[in-house]
Amino acid sequence: MSDSIAGFISDVDEDGALAEVRKALDAGADPLGLVEALRAGMSTVGNRFEAREYFLPDLILSAEIFNQSVALIEPHLKGTGGPSKGSVVIGTVQGDVHDIGKNIVATMLRCAGYEVRDLGIDVAPGSFVDTAKETGASLVALSGLLTVAFDSMKDTVAAFVEAGTRDSVKIIIGGGPVNETVLEYCGADAYGKDPSEAVALAERFLA
Amino acid sequence: MKATKLIHEKDTMTSEQRLQAVINLQVPDRVPVSHRIYYFAAKYAGVDNADLYDAATWNSAIDKCFRDLGPWDLYAPWNFYHVEVLSLIFPMKVLEPGIGLPRDAIHQYLEEEIMPFEDYQWIMKMAKQIPDLSFLRLVMRWLPKIWGHVQPGIRGYAYMMPRLLDHLITWRRDFMRWSKEGVIPLAGAGVEAAFDSFSMARGLVNFSRDLKKHPDLIAGAADAMTAGNLYLITSAARILGVKRAAIALHRSSNDFISPDTFRKLSLPSLKDLVERLKAQGRPSVLHCDGNWDLNFEALRELPAGCAVVELDGTSDIFKAKEIIGDRMCIAGDVPADLLALGSTTEVDEYCHRLIEEVGKGGGFILSSGCEVAPNAKPENVKTMMESVVKYGYYNR
Repeated sequence: MSDSIAGFISDVDEDGALAEVRKALDAGADPLGLVEALRAGMSTVGNRFEAREYFLPDLILSAEIFNQSVALIEPHLKGTGGPSKGSVVIGTVQGDVHDIGKNIVATMLRCAGYEVRDLGIDVAPGSFVDTAKETGASLVALSGLLTVAFDSMKDTVAAFVEAGTRDSVKIIIGGGPVNETVLEYCGADAYGKDPSEAVALAERFLA
Repeated sequence: MKATKLIHEKDTMTSEQRLQAVINLQVPDRVPVSHRIYYFAAKYAGVDNADLYDAATWNSAIDKCFRDLGPWDLYAPWNFYHVEVLSLIFPMKVLEPGIGLPRDAIHQYLEEEIMPFEDYQWIMKMAKQIPDLSFLRLVMRWLPKIWGHVQPGIRGYAYMMPRLLDHLITWRRDFMRWSKEGVIPLAGAGVEAAFDSFSMARGLVNFSRDLKKHPDLIAGAADAMTAGNLYLITSAARILGVKRAAIALHRSSNDFISPDTFRKLSLPSLKDLVERLKAQGRPSVLHCDGNWDLNFEALRELPAGCAVVELDGTSDIFKAKEIIGDRMCIAGDVPADLLALGSTTEVDEYCHRLIEEVGKGGGFILSSGCEVAPNAKPENVKTMMESVVKYGYYNR
């Protein structure tokens, strides 16, 4: 059953995946096992995206399937959804309200086993700093689609420096116009050009 | 309106002749230079972005850019005199400077559903009944969902039509003003391609689901919109006095969809529109945001010598030259981040490379990759404009 759930997700079959999750829950399947199956399916989706077999709509829809499935499974989970591989704070930087890319990255990170605190959109530099401190997160992911977001990313990195916590976090950036030049400008640690790269960066920095 | 003034001393062609030559894939006297400046002008002139809806403020700001940083041959008109007119082209909820955002912010779109799923069927039925008016009927159905003050039905039309007309007439005045400087618009009337329009109006999550489960409905509704898009373009073009039509493709790049999806669902209605425009002697300017590398091959299906492909710095423009350079004019692609963060030397080097490689044999317009970022360095914009004089003449 777990295999078929992973299969439905990796084929981005929304109806099939949700029906299979419901069936498994009705049959008393181990909820943690189901979450693992969802993660395995999402991992395949990520691999296919990297190989350019899949494109953005496949990522968006599979993230939707994952979130809907987790919502079905959650009431059956006792405690957490499994051991966390680390904490990540994510948000769209100040002055920018775009969140599609950020939401996909947040879901992909959750799928990969990270505990994600999503601060939403238009997030002030200080909120990133405070939340990283509060959660003990050692990875902060900044998203932005606009070129004016470059300055907000730079300000956010500077806020960590000012708070004296820059050395305790790795800061990664992503979003449409982000590249090596922007990375250098903001003083972050790395950038990812798509959600798969964001997960790879988390694996690298939180290993 | 004729722009007869030559832009630079060594020029032997007017901007109109130069643009015609590159669209026809011929070699002009020099590489033409264009741009898409909007918010940058406000910052440069020291006014709020919210004030750019005022024609006098906009013209004063862009004139300052022209005097200090120009001249340029062409420009992609991107200023709107009524906020709702922008929503006729981009059917998405939007936060505007001064309306939901600070007066100096730039507008931002919200991914919310404007088009319910049932509209695919509705569009196909409606467009059969009133093909020419289908664009107007559709956007006026959506507009009240974007702007609460626009009422549904006849009151909505009564509110919008004078504003649309005023916008077009003011653009025409702008075009005439620029023609005295020898400058012409790259395109006049424009639409968002039908496929892309649905992607925006449905919202990305809904549209992703539609692509998976209902591709036939998307294709059918997109095909049905061609007559309405054509009618809007030709009607507006009569007022504007510009034959070249802009077709925006914000959601057809490979950042959004696969090349297979592009070929099956987006290209057919695009091709139909471009061919029908060509039959009327109207070149198309395809605004191709995002990465189009895997779509270039499919673009070869469009008729040769009647389209400009505008790239934004995300696609590989050098690859574009190899694959479609013999079929269509390429415009681009000095990237936003280079203009904002690069040095003048870096901008100069990149423009030089574009002129030498993409400009080889003609069929090229040097331009900013999409919009010049508001935080672009003015000296970088000037360097871009000057590079066509430095490197762009074909008979050096």
